[in-house]
Order: sequence, then structure tokens, then C-alpha cells
Amino acid sequence: MFTFYIFGVLCAALIFGDLLLNIFSNKRVQVIFNIILLFFIGIIILYAYYNNSYSSILGLFSFNPFSEFFILLFTVGVALINLLYFSFAEDYRELSMLLSFSLIGMYIVALSNSLTGIFIGLELMSIPTVFSILLSKKSLEAATKLFILAAISIAIFSFAMAITYGGLGTLSLIKSQYSNIMLVAFVLFVVSLGFEASIFPFNVLVPDIYEGSPGYITALLGGVNKKVGFAALIQVLILIFIAYHSAFIVIAILSVFTMFYGNIGALMQKNLKRLMAYSSIAQAGYILIGIATASVYGMSGALFQIFAHVFIFIGLLAIIATLERKNMTTIDSIAGLKDKNPFMAFAMVLFMLSLVGLPLTTGFVGKILIFLGAIYAGLAILAVLGVLNSMISLYYYLKIITSIYSKDTLKKHVNVDKYTLSVVVICLAVTILFGIFPQPILNMINSAATYLFSL
Amino acid sequence: MQALLLLLPLLLSIIAMSFVRKEFVKYIALIASVISLVLLIIVNNGSYFITLLSLGGYTLQIATNIAALNLLLLSIVLIIAPLVIFYSFGYMNIRSEQRRFYIEIVAFEAAMLLFAMSYSFITMFIAWEFLSLTSYLLIGFWYNNEVANIAARKAITTVFIGDICILAAMAIMLAISGSLNFTTVFTSLQNAPSAELLVAILLGIAIFTKSAQFPFSEWLPDAMEGPTPVSAFLHSSTMVKAGVFALLILSPIFIQTNLNTMIFYFALITIILATLNALKEKHIKKVIAYSTIQELGLMVLAISGGAVAAGVYFFFAQSFYKVLLFFSSGAVMEATEKTSLDETSGLKTNKLIYITTLFGVLSLAGFIPFDGFFASMGLSSSFSSNLLVYLALNIFGVLTSIYAFRWFFLNGKKSPAAVTVKYLSMPKSIVISMIISAVLTLVASLVFFYFGVFGFNSFQTLSITSLNYFDVLIESILAVIGLLIAYVIYKKSLRIRSSYLIKLINNGILTNEVYLYFVKAIYEFAEGFYIFEEGLSKFLDGVGYMFIDIGKEVRKVSVGNVNSYALILSVGIILLFVFVYMINVV
Repeated sequence: MFTFYIFGVLCAALIFGDLLLNIFSNKRVQVIFNIILLFFIGIIILYAYYNNSYSSILGLFSFNPFSEFFILLFTVGVALINLLYFSFAEDYRELSMLLSFSLIGMYIVALSNSLTGIFIGLELMSIPTVFSILLSKKSLEAATKLFILAAISIAIFSFAMAITYGGLGTLSLIKSQYSNIMLVAFVLFVVSLGFEASIFPFNVLVPDIYEGSPGYITALLGGVNKKVGFAALIQVLILIFIAYHSAFIVIAILSVFTMFYGNIGALMQKNLKRLMAYSSIAQAGYILIGIATASVYGMSGALFQIFAHVFIFIGLLAIIATLERKNMTTIDSIAGLKDKNPFMAFAMVLFMLSLVGLPLTTGFVGKILIFLGAIYAGLAILAVLGVLNSMISLYYYLKIITSIYSKDTLKKHVNVDKYTLSVVVICLAVTILFGIFPQPILNMINSAATYLFSL
Repeated sequence: MQALLLLLPLLLSIIAMSFVRKEFVKYIALIASVISLVLLIIVNNGSYFITLLSLGGYTLQIATNIAALNLLLLSIVLIIAPLVIFYSFGYMNIRSEQRRFYIEIVAFEAAMLLFAMSYSFITMFIAWEFLSLTSYLLIGFWYNNEVANIAARKAITTVFIGDICILAAMAIMLAISGSLNFTTVFTSLQNAPSAELLVAILLGIAIFTKSAQFPFSEWLPDAMEGPTPVSAFLHSSTMVKAGVFALLILSPIFIQTNLNTMIFYFALITIILATLNALKEKHIKKVIAYSTIQELGLMVLAISGGAVAAGVYFFFAQSFYKVLLFFSSGAVMEATEKTSLDETSGLKTNKLIYITTLFGVLSLAGFIPFDGFFASMGLSSSFSSNLLVYLALNIFGVLTSIYAFRWFFLNGKKSPAAVTVKYLSMPKSIVISMIISAVLTLVASLVFFYFGVFGFNSFQTLSITSLNYFDVLIESILAVIGLLIAYVIYKKSLRIRSSYLIKLINNGILTNEVYLYFVKAIYEFAEGFYIFEEGLSKFLDGVGYMFIDIGKEVRKVSVGNVNSYALILSVGIILLFVFVYMINVV
């Protein structure tokens, strides 16, 4: 219990510290402050996790394995994004303050016990993100589109909440019996959270937003914000609608469409960020397979894939943002990257292979867990389609890899500053290390999934 | 954990070698492999497990075990690796390719160590695949040479058959026992005899491909296109023995299924074909390659025939003189720049190289007190109750002695002056590593016998003191007969008088027709597989183009127009509602 009060105090310190430092100090102090606080938050949550201290605070927030897993993930992800902001953005101080607000929103989504909390958390997360895109002057269009997306999403979400209140008589996340009115709410929840998690057909604007934003903010959008959407989706679907077995087929169908949309859309893309947007849509499809199984195994796979994708995506976008500064934004323009910066080329190839699902990377573990989960749950067709999609995706990833390793006459070195480099190294280390020894993460994920289904 | 410690210096050195300046690469490789050798002393016996995945009743573990057998292979690899790397100092003198060479060699060594201590099929399979990969890369090391490329592809195609077999066997074992650890699999296979037979056949094929047994043997002589240190390391003493080693540690499966008899006869065929081929082969390294196939056959024969102790000893003893012979063929090739035994010459000009080579040849031919003598001695005396096999082994002994000395005499012809100079100015590293391995051919057996280093208490019954003097006499006489025949034919060049014999050897009864027929059959099979694969890939290409065409259309969906977005969105929501309604009604 005590640890959670410390957690609250640290969160408050993060917000107010950022506000004060924004006015009184320089950006180097601010980044150190942010990283240290995030580090302590991570330590506190790890401590709570290993002491199995679960509790609920004020009846609104509950600390449990599920929320602790997501809080850890968001904390690490946001810390990495902080480093990226620091090395790329000129207006780091404003961005980092907005990011801290977003982070609190993410925490609320992961922690909250009720739909109200998820509502507030999603709002708190997405509005600062819109502003941080707006800070870079060129990205007005992307910011507008993200704002439209968030607005529609939250509108439909509140509608769904209203119906849920009618159906259940409460806004808490409790199990609902089968009823037609709740089925309407089910669809509306899937739609509204489908915006956040970029599920087909609610993701048509996603490539535009990812392409239009600066690379370091795309890293936040695809690497962390989307995962918040998934955290909310998983909580709502499993905690309220677990009894709606037949309705979960909708999720399965959406997952197939999302996978195919992402992978086929990516096939002919030239722009790297746009391609990564489609690729992350495809990954969302794989994650949805795990959710559609509505079983502990499938959910473990989905959670692992979420974990894996956070690091792969942030690592890749760190590289892409670096290349962006040299005007290398298309597949053709990164030709010969191997000679220009061997380590970046190597890291990029490994991230790509991990996205495909090469063994000994986290991408492989996530995918195999998802597909196994689908087979156990009697949805083998989803596993087959998932493997087929992996094969399709190999085409465009290999296209990038061949481009990296082809020869280029212009031999100018691409420099990386040490903050970006450290982000890439951390992401690469996580991808490889937990690809080889996934057991510590699997234990965490298993307890999270088991907790979710035990309620 | 300690077992994996052995791999650490090698893995670190691979990283280091990718970044340091070119001049230091070879030193790092040498230092890393020496450190690994030193670490071998402190490694404790025992098994160790790391769980990779544990899900739904299936557990995948990286498991390592260090017991007598593992220690045997580990020490072979770790002793030979520094020697080979040191030899390469003088041999691989093309600067631009050194980094690649040493990284690949060290990666191979790491894979071999992992294989030697594997205690679960998943560990074994990972190591096995890395062995195939590094072998492929090293055979085709001179990538500008078309022949080397073909040889590399042939090797990996052949080994690929075995890889698929192992995968299939692993799937069966995982389904039956839920784990891939050796001990678990062995016990659970006992209760499923039919599955066990299938697993044994699949594993047997894999072992045959890796250890170049008939009918999968032809890739090994072709693999001699790789650089000589590679042949010495991979294709004589370590990688090709992976199959034999697997046969040893997986012996419970083979014993229970009575597959051993069949393996025994296949090994016999391998030995006959390889020996006859070694007698007629002209390529300096291919003679030794065929000799390696023959010896691998002898090991498989011994293990499947029940003479495990003799097989294990052969496994150990063969490594050192084989490495030595490859080293000296490398030296000959370096000096004469020729590969055909008709053209090579001048072995005598450098006394050090001459004497060390003689050590190797005497050992191969089976002269007392070299390694080879005790190895073949132990083998034939353990089969002394079976007269037919005993006779066959002795005939092979004579033939081995003949081709060993043939190789020696043909290399020892008088050489032109230019070649002599090259012999005398041979790089020091080549000469020194030859001397060390020559000493090893003498000492290794003594260490093995008298000190019982590997804890082979049960095998010490085979020690020299208990050897029968009669057997020693026979063995020595046979070796001398071989020497005399080779002397008469090849040294004195009495070609006219013994033309019939020469003809018989060169156009051997089985070697050309039958053998090539089988080789061709296997290769056709691989080709057929390739054609099937090509058809499959054509089909997949078609599917791929379909997706690409769809992809061009899908791109147009997301044009950034908010109105069209709103349309898609509303249609999506309506469709979802319709769909949920339909589910609800049904």
C-alpha cells in the first residue's frame, strides 16, 4: 500500500517538476529530472510486482499484475521517447512536459477500475499528443487528423459508456450478462478503441498521421499511444464482455482484415514512415488475434507482442528519425546505409527481422505464442492467416534490407548522436535478450493474463 | 552456466573482431580460442538448464551437459582450434579476406562447442544449423571460384536433407514427451515403439548426412574446395564427427530399435567405397577426405557393432593425425601451387615438414606407437570374435597403409629449384603448428590411456598393457605390407610390371559405376526437391504479385481526405452492427 502512495507522489512530482523546470531551468536538467523520476517509478512498480502487493486505491485505481505490466511498459517506452525528444526536438522542454501529462493519462488507463477512468486517461493522453505534434510547424495536417480521430473516438466511447450505464447500472469494469443492449455497447467500444489501437477500418488516417508527424513523435504514437489503446481494449473486452463468446468472432474477423490491410498496404509503400505505419497496423492485427482467442494463452501472446513491438517500433523510428534529418525518407534513399553507418544498418535489419518473426528475437516469441494460443482456442484458421501475413510482410521488409545492403555511389557518413544511439542500443538489447530468454517477461505476462481472466 | 562460459570468449571475440583494425583480427581469434581452452580446465561436470519457453505443457530448454563424452569432443575442438587458427596465420595471407575468415572460423568453433555440450534436441538443433551454415560459408570461402560455390551448395543441400529429418523427429518427440531434453525424450520414447522407430530412422538419416556416410558421402570430397585450414578443422576432425557424436549420445534410441544392424552394413559399404576411392584419387586433399569418410565409417561401424569403447577411442585419436595430414597438404599446395598428386613434389626438402608429415602418415597407416595404431588395433581386436568383420578390417588396414604411403611417396618426388626455395621459406606458423600436432599424434594416446583424463574408467580395460602381443604383431605386419606394396608401386615406379594392379585400383570394381549411380540418385533427389521448391516459389510469386496489385489499390484508400474517411468509417460501423446482429439472430 505504501509503495503506491510513493508512486502517486512520484507522478505528482513528475508533473509539477516538469512545469517548474519548464519555466526556471534548461533542458539538460529537465531530461535528467525526467529520466531519474521515470527510473524510480519503474523501480517502485517492479518492487510492487515482485512483492505481489496488489491493492485498490480510493476504489478507483487498482494495482494488479496487469496494470503493473503496462505501467512498466509505458514508463520505459516514455523514457526512451524522452531521450529521443531530447536529441531531436528543439522545443524539448514543452514536448517533455506534454509527454509527462500523456504519461499520467496512460497510467490512469492502465490502473483504472472503471470506464470513467479509461475515458479520462485516454483524453489526458491524446490531447497533449495533438499539441506536441502541433509544436512542429510543418505537421498541422497530421495534428488535425489526430485530433479528429481522438475526438470521434472519445465521442463514440462516451456513447458506449452511456449505453453501458443503461445496461449494467454502473460504470465499473464488471462482468456483464448477455443482453442485446450491451451488444450495442460492445460494438461501440470496439469502434472507439479501434481508433486508438488502429484497427481496420478505423485506421485509414493512421498512415497520414504517422507520415506527417516528425519521426520522434511517430515513435510515441506507434510505440506507446497505440499500446494504451490496446490496454483499454483488453480491459474492456475481457472484464466486461468475456461472456460474449460469439461476439468475439467480430474481433477475429477484424484481426484478419487489419493484418491484410496493413501488410498489403505496406507492400508498395516508398516512404519509410508510411511503411512503418502500415507495418504497425499489421502488428495490431497479430495482437488482435491473441485478444480474439479470449484465453490466457492467446492473451499472453498478445501482451508479449505488445511488449515486443514497443521496443522494435521505438528503435526503428529512432533510426528513421535520424535518417529523416539527412532527407533520407524513402526506401530508395537509404541505399548503401551499410557503408554510411554500419551499426544503424545492422540494427535496422535486426528490427525488421524481428518484425517478421525471426527466431531468437522478441517478435518470434510473440508471434509463436499468439499462433499457438489461436490453435489452442480452436481458431487455427487465424494462425494460418497470420503465418501467411508474415510471409507477405517479408516482401517489404526484405525490400528495405536489400536497399540497405545495396551499393550507393554517394558515400557520406550518417552520424548518430549518443542519445539516439543509446535508445537504439537499449531497444536492440531488449529485442535480442528477451528473444533468447523470454521467461522473465513471460512470467510477468502470464500472471497479468491469469489475473485478467480470474476476475 | 559454466558450460556456457566456454562460449563467452568466442562470442565476445566475434564482436571485437568486427570492429578492430584488420591487423589485430587474427590475434584476437587466437587469444579467444586459447582462453576457451584454459576455461575447459575449470569447467565442472554436470548439467545445466535454461528455460526458453514454457507454455501449455510444452517446455523448451537450452540444456547443456558436461560428462565424459562431451568433455572428449570439447577437448578435441578446443585443442585443434588454436592450432588451426595459428596455422592460418601463415596460410591465409590475403589481407582483405582475413576478417571474414577468422570470424567464420570462431563462429564455427562456438557452434561446435555448443553442439558438444548439448543436452536437449533444441540446443543440438541450433548448434547443428550453425554448423551447417558456417560450413557452407567456409567451403565457399573463395566466392569468386565457381567450383567452390557449387561444392558449398552441394554440401548444404545434402545436409539440408538431414536438417529436415531432425526437425520432423523433433516435432514427433515434442508431441510425445512435451519436452526436448534428452533424458525425458529417451524415457518417453520407450513407451512408444513405433514412434521411436520413426524417430530413429529420421535421426539416422541426419547423422548420415552430417557424417558423410553412404549414400550421402559425396559432399565431403567436394568440400575440399575450401581453404586448407577449414578442411583441417571442419572436414576432418570436428564437424563431420558431429554425426558420430550424435550417434553416441543418442545411442539409447538406436539400441532399442535394433536399427544398429542396418547402420552397421551401411557403414561397411561406406568404408569399402571410401577406401577404394582413396586409392585412386589424384587430388592431394581429396585422398585425405576419402580417408576421413573411411574413418567415419569405421567409427559408425564400431559404435553400431557394439564396440563402443573402440569407437570412442578412434573418435579421439583420429583427430590429430588427420589435422596434421591436412596441414602438410596445405604446406605442399602452398609450395608447389599444384593440387594433383602427379604434380606435387619436394616434401623432402624441408626436413621439419618432412618428418612431421611422416608422423602423420605412419599414424594413419597404423604403425606402433602412433595414435592410429592403437585406434585400428582396438577396433580389430574388439571384432576378433566375428571372423568376417575381423578379416575385412584387416584388409582395410592394408589398403589404408597403401594409400597413406602412396600419398606420401607421390608428394616426396624430386622438386624443381623454385619449389625447394618455397619449402625452405615456409611461414613459421605453418611449421610450428605442424610440429605441435605431430607431437600430439604421439602423446594424445598416452594421455588418454594412462591418465584417464576424461574419466573413462570403463574404457581403460582397453589400455596398452592388456593388449595382446599377437594382435600387435599382426597389425604391424599388415601396416608394413601396405608400406612395401606402396613402395614397390609408387616409389620405384614399377608401373609396367604391376599395371594390372594399378588398373584394378584406378578403375575399381565398385568405385565408378555403382558409386556414382548412388551419388547421382541422391543428387537427383536433391535436384527434384529443388524443382519442387522452384515450382512452389513460382506459385508464391504469383500470389505475391496478386498482393502487390491489391496493394497498389489499397494505397489509394488512404488519400488523407477526411470526407472519404468519414464514409469508410460509417460503413465500417454499420457493417459491424449488421454482423453482430446476424450472430445474435443465428
